[in-house]
This record gives sequence, C-alpha cells and structure tokens, in this order.
Amino acid sequence: MGAVSSTAASPSPDGSLPRGRVIPLRRPGEAATAWLGMVVFLGSWAMMFAGLFFSYGLVRLRSPAWPPLDQPSLPLLLPGVNVAVVLLSEGALVLALRWLRGGKPRPAAAALAGATLLGATFLALQSVVWVSLWDAGLRPDGGPYPSVFYALTVFHALHVAVGLVALAWLAGRALASGLGPPGRQALRLWGMYWHFVGAVWVAMYLAVYVV
Amino acid sequence: MATPAQVLEQVETQPIHPPPTSFWRKHVFSTDHKVIARQFLWAGLLFLLVGGTLAMLIRWQWGFPYRKVPILGDVFLGANGGLIGPATYQKIFTMHGLIMIFFAVTPVLIGTFGNFLIPLMIGARDMAFPKLNMYSFWTFALSQALVVASFLVDLGTAGAGWTSYPPLATNVGTPGAGQTLVVAALFVTGVSSTMGAINYVTTVIRLRAPGMTWMRLPLTIWGLWLTAILNALFVPVLGSAALLLLLDRSFGTQFFVAGAAAVRGGGDPILYQHLFWIFGHPEVYIMILPAWGILGDVLAFFARKPHHWYRGSVWAMVAVTVLSAMVYGHHMFMTGMSPLLGEAFMLFTLTISVPSMVVVLNWLFTIWKGSIRFTTPMLFALGTMFVFGVGGLTGLFLGDISMDLYLHDTMFVVGHFHFTMAAASFMGAMTGLYFWFPKMYGRALDERLGKVHFWFSIVGFTVVFGGQLIVGWAGQQRRLFDPFQYTFIQGLRGLNQWTSLFAFALFAGQFAFVWNFFKTVFGKAEPAGQNPWEVTTLEWTDATSPPAFHNFDVIPVVLRGPHELGNPEGKRLLGRDWIGQAEKVPALRETPAAAAKA
Repeated sequence: MGAVSSTAASPSPDGSLPRGRVIPLRRPGEAATAWLGMVVFLGSWAMMFAGLFFSYGLVRLRSPAWPPLDQPSLPLLLPGVNVAVVLLSEGALVLALRWLRGGKPRPAAAALAGATLLGATFLALQSVVWVSLWDAGLRPDGGPYPSVFYALTVFHALHVAVGLVALAWLAGRALASGLGPPGRQALRLWGMYWHFVGAVWVAMYLAVYVV
Repeated sequence: MATPAQVLEQVETQPIHPPPTSFWRKHVFSTDHKVIARQFLWAGLLFLLVGGTLAMLIRWQWGFPYRKVPILGDVFLGANGGLIGPATYQKIFTMHGLIMIFFAVTPVLIGTFGNFLIPLMIGARDMAFPKLNMYSFWTFALSQALVVASFLVDLGTAGAGWTSYPPLATNVGTPGAGQTLVVAALFVTGVSSTMGAINYVTTVIRLRAPGMTWMRLPLTIWGLWLTAILNALFVPVLGSAALLLLLDRSFGTQFFVAGAAAVRGGGDPILYQHLFWIFGHPEVYIMILPAWGILGDVLAFFARKPHHWYRGSVWAMVAVTVLSAMVYGHHMFMTGMSPLLGEAFMLFTLTISVPSMVVVLNWLFTIWKGSIRFTTPMLFALGTMFVFGVGGLTGLFLGDISMDLYLHDTMFVVGHFHFTMAAASFMGAMTGLYFWFPKMYGRALDERLGKVHFWFSIVGFTVVFGGQLIVGWAGQQRRLFDPFQYTFIQGLRGLNQWTSLFAFALFAGQFAFVWNFFKTVFGKAEPAGQNPWEVTTLEWTDATSPPAFHNFDVIPVVLRGPHELGNPEGKRLLGRDWIGQAEKVPALRETPAAAAKA
C-alpha cells in the first residue's frame, strides 16, 4: 500500500501528462488485487478437482466391488502420515509469513526451508506408496479402481511439485538475501496455493484412501 | 478498503507505465490489453475462415452427395478423387464444431472484446494482471497449433463429434494421434480461458474508475464479466473431462471405457456426458452473454435513447448466469435419466426463458420510438435480435422432454443451436467489431461493404438454419453422411440443396467483410476521430482512437450511467443529444433526486 511512486510527473497546465519520462508503475492496492486474483484462480481450479472427485464418485457407484477382490486395497498409514506432513508444512509457512511480518527474517527463512523440505517429504512418501502398489500389481490399465487412484493422486502430486519449485525458489532467496516486499507478496500468494493443495490432499485422503 | 481507483483519485499525480520500445515487446509478447485483443482477433478470424470452409464441405455433402467437391476437392481431398468419404465427413463436421466454438467465436467474442473493452470501458490503464493476459493469448495460440497439428498426423484429425463423446472418442472408436491432440488442445484452451477469466473478474471488481459504480457499468461489461465468472467456474470442469479422456486414450485408464473393451466392469461413458454438459450448458451462455451486453449498449446508442430498464437487464443477465448452471441435464434426456430429475431440469430450462425475455423485451422497448440510426453496427444488432429470437423460441421445444424425445439428434437441434450460438454469437461479434473498429484501429470500416456483409449474413443465416429446422422437424437426423439413404428423407433432397446454395452465398458474402477489413487496416482510410458514433462511454469520450498505450492521461471520474442519450436538458445546454459518462456539465440537473438534494 502507499506504493504510488513519488517520481510521477505532475500534469502540465493543459492537463496532459508530459511524455518521454519513465515513470514506474506501482499501483496502489496491488496486494489486494493480487489476493483477489488468486482467490478466483483457486476457486476456478477447485472446480477441476470437483470434476475429478465427481468422476470418482460416479465410477465407484457403478462398480460392483471396490476394491475388486483380486486387487490390493490402498494403504492407510503412509498417506495418513502425509496428511500430517502437509499440515506441518502449511503450519511452517504460516509461521514464516508471521515472522517475516514481525521483522524476524532469519527464523522466517528457516521456517520456509522447513516447509519446503516437508513438501519434498510428501512427494517421497507418496512415491513409496505408488511403487509398493505398482509392485503389488496395481496398474493404471487394470480397470476403474486403479484408474481413479493413479489419476487423482498423480494429478495432485503434480500440483505439489509445482508449489514445491516455487517454495524452494523463495526459500533460496530468503536464505541468501532475505525477502523484500515483492518476495513477501509472492510468498503470501504461493502460501494460498499451498494451503489449497493441502486441503485437496486432506479431501483426497478421506475420499480415496479412507472411505 | 478503498479501491485502487479511489486511491488514484486522492493522489495528485497518476503513475503511467512507459510504453515498450522493442519490436517483440510491442507486437508479439505484448502485455498491452489492446494489442492482445487484436492478436485474439486475428487468431479468431483466421480460424473462423477455416471453420466456415469446413461448413461449406458439410453443406456440399448434404446438397450434392457423392459428387466431386469443386475447387476445394482437388486441394484437400485429392487422395479421394475430390470426393468426401464417410470417415473424412466425420472429421469435417467434428472439426467444424470444435473450431467454431473454441477457436473462432470464443477468441473473437471473449478474447477480443474482453481484452479491448474491459479496461477502456471501466476507465483503467490495463488489466489487473497484464502478464497473465499475455500468457493467456500464447497458451491459446499453442492450443490452435495443436489443432493444426492434428490435421497433419496419421489417420487425420478428431472425428468423434464436437462433444467428443466416448466410447467413440476413446481409442476403441477413434484411434490415432489426431483425436488425442484435439482433446489436448481443448485442455490447453481451457487453461487459457481460465487465465483470461481470472483477469476479467478481478479487473472489473478492482480497477473501475472512481464513480464507476456497478449500476453505471456499460451492459457490455456486465455481459463480459458474467461470462468470465461462468468461464472461471465451468471451463475447469471441461478440463477435468478432457484430462480423464486423455488418460483413457494415452495411459489405458478406464474412466469412460465400458463393455467388451473394458476390464473389471470398466467405467461409464455417461460420466463424460455429465462432465461435458456441466461445462457445456454454461458454455452456451458464455458464447451469448457478451453478445447480449454488446447489444444492450449498441441498441441504446443508435436508438439515441437510454437503455430501457437498465437494472432489469442487469439482474436478468445475472439470473440467466445462475440458472445456466442448473440446466445441463436437458442435453441428456435420452440417456435414461430418472424422469423426476429430467422434469427438474426441464423446469429450470424453461424458467430461463423468463429472464431472457426480460432482456429481449428491454431491447425492443429501447428501440421503440427511438431516433434510430441505421448504421452497420445497428443493422447487425437488430439482426442479432432477430436470429436470437428464433433460436431462443425453438429452444423451448427442445427443453420440453416430450418434444425432445422426438426431436433429439435431428437437424432441428442443429438449426436451434446454430441460430443461437452461431448466428446470434457471430452477428453479436460483428456488431461489436463494426462498432469498436474505429477505436481499435483508428479507422472505421466501410459502411457500404458493411451493409452488403450484413444482408448476406442475415438472409444467409435465416435461410440456412431455418432450412435445418424444417428438415429436422421432418425427421432428418443430424451428422448423417448420406441422409437420403432413408426413403422418407428423400423428399427433402431439394430443400437440402437450396439450403446448401444459400450457405454458399452466405460464405461468399463474408468476403465483403474480409475485403473491408484489409482495406481499412492496411489501406488509406480517413482517421475516424475520437468519437465517430457520438456516444457516451469512456473509451469514446476520454481516449483517443486508437487509445494511447496507457489509455487515459488522467483516469476519468465517472458521473452518470452509460446511456445518457436524448436528454432534452443536455441538448439545450450542450447542443447535442449525448452526454459522456465522465463529462462535467455543471448546469445540468442530473436527476430529480440530485436536484432535491441540491
């Protein structure tokens, strides 16, 4: 806020602005505008996941047995641990933002690095789940049950990977030189994305693994 | 919290971002909403020509089956002796629909007008996220490239109908990379639409000029904003359908594969129809709401009267937006849906006609006793009203279950949705194009050629799609390679031929526009001036033609609604029948309420 540049030129007597001067664009209220844009984006993307969950529900309703008797059932423990990992990562991100705002860049950078590492842990544990199920004979072309499992979890993991790249980049910058106002703004927006991905995971754990 | 525009009002000086200087930043990877709008226009019009050419091939097949296609046959169908074969025919009608809807009308109606008009009409310097805007266009260009690529691969492009229903759209029905590429193009264009929608929704909420309240927004902006909301909510659902279809095609998953091709029971083809139409019905309104908005403004401008019951039209459009999300089941009456559910969908479907009628009646009351100026945009606006009226009324038949059982999958359906989505969307887009062309390129399109274009279009659309309604009513099924293999259709041969001839005339008439477009953009037409139509909205009253890079030197302060036309007191004070939205007229008594306050 209050980012209107002081170098802006004043209007000439005839009301038009003098040309040829470089005036940086720093719109006031930019943060709130970006926040709104992110909310619209996440709301929109939530509809994509809603479509996937809807498909899962309909396919499952049409299936005589879920899982089919000759296919392995999904593990509960590791994905459950992953719920905790995701929630811890989100918590670390909240702390990082709070410490940044409170003028404590060092612990904030550490928390950010922690959130990134937890995100990487999530992907690692999820890979273990995929590999063990693959070895147990669960393949994407084995009918609707593995179709749903692989499509939903892999699509979600891709979103985690995108967020992870962004968090790693921000954590690197925070550790190296600290985050200025633009970096803080980026972190706030990526934080919203991260919470969204986390919420989708909790829903996915309950819907795909538990129920 | 103050909006940025209100903060701007309080600070003394208004910052301007400098225009780019390099060629690439200026013309290719531009973040300027006006450049992006023109990019969408070129991309859309180019594919409109492709889609139109495909339509001519379909019409040839229906009018003159098993006969060599003149001109195009040797160029595109040389391998088949210039004839359209059944498999090729299937690809032609599939790609005609897909290209027209996703890669021609959508970029022109939403990409062009949304980008060009939203910042200019609400009094902003650019979109809320200019870079995202640029990504949106280039993502769209990628999706078009995928469509072009699909024509070049083995087995050719997609052939499962524009809806890409499985099981026909799975590897079982349509093998080959073409269908996969087209479904991928759908996903990518969906991503582009979502990016655009985020921008539009946010920009209208956050960047309106001071005084530009919701009830002072031009109706065009209302149409585009509601469209953007529908896009943001429902395009991702199509994304999920396309994603699952891609997985089914490429990774052997079984979401939509059923029957003998499936293992362990398989998935459910009807699931795809649900996902597709949850998106697909709002999409119908995505393609008409911008046209409605444009019509609302243009009819008022050229009738020289304020729009009749502006608030009524706004709320009717909001109501249509909400209802459009609750009717998709009427596309699936024939899928064995429970009768109770079907009746609920029928009820909501028929309910939509109430707010739609409010919009249409307001148009009629707007032009009633107006001092109408029959310019090309006005003619197109009146034409849009007519074709939309026919399209809307034939929709009532299809929304009714008992009628739909008979008319389902006949040419009647084709005629109906061509009147609404093709004729009305196209003519609405042309209304906007003829109207805003002076603002976009600084020069007006030629009126005489424009009127030639109009008469070819209105007569062509009415006869061609009217012919489809009639043969459909008589029982001709849609999508048939040779409809006359059925004895009872053979009597319709003459009607189909006449319809085809009118379709060729319609297509030929479009070249009046092509010629006009190139003549005006690259020729030596006179500059149009800032406000050639003598109208009231900010892009005409407060920005040059074409607008400067930063649109407005000083962000205007809006004082009144968008249609201050024919105000007698304004005429006495100013000597003209229009008052700009941000024009200060101190002596003018604005409204009885304002006068009472004074």
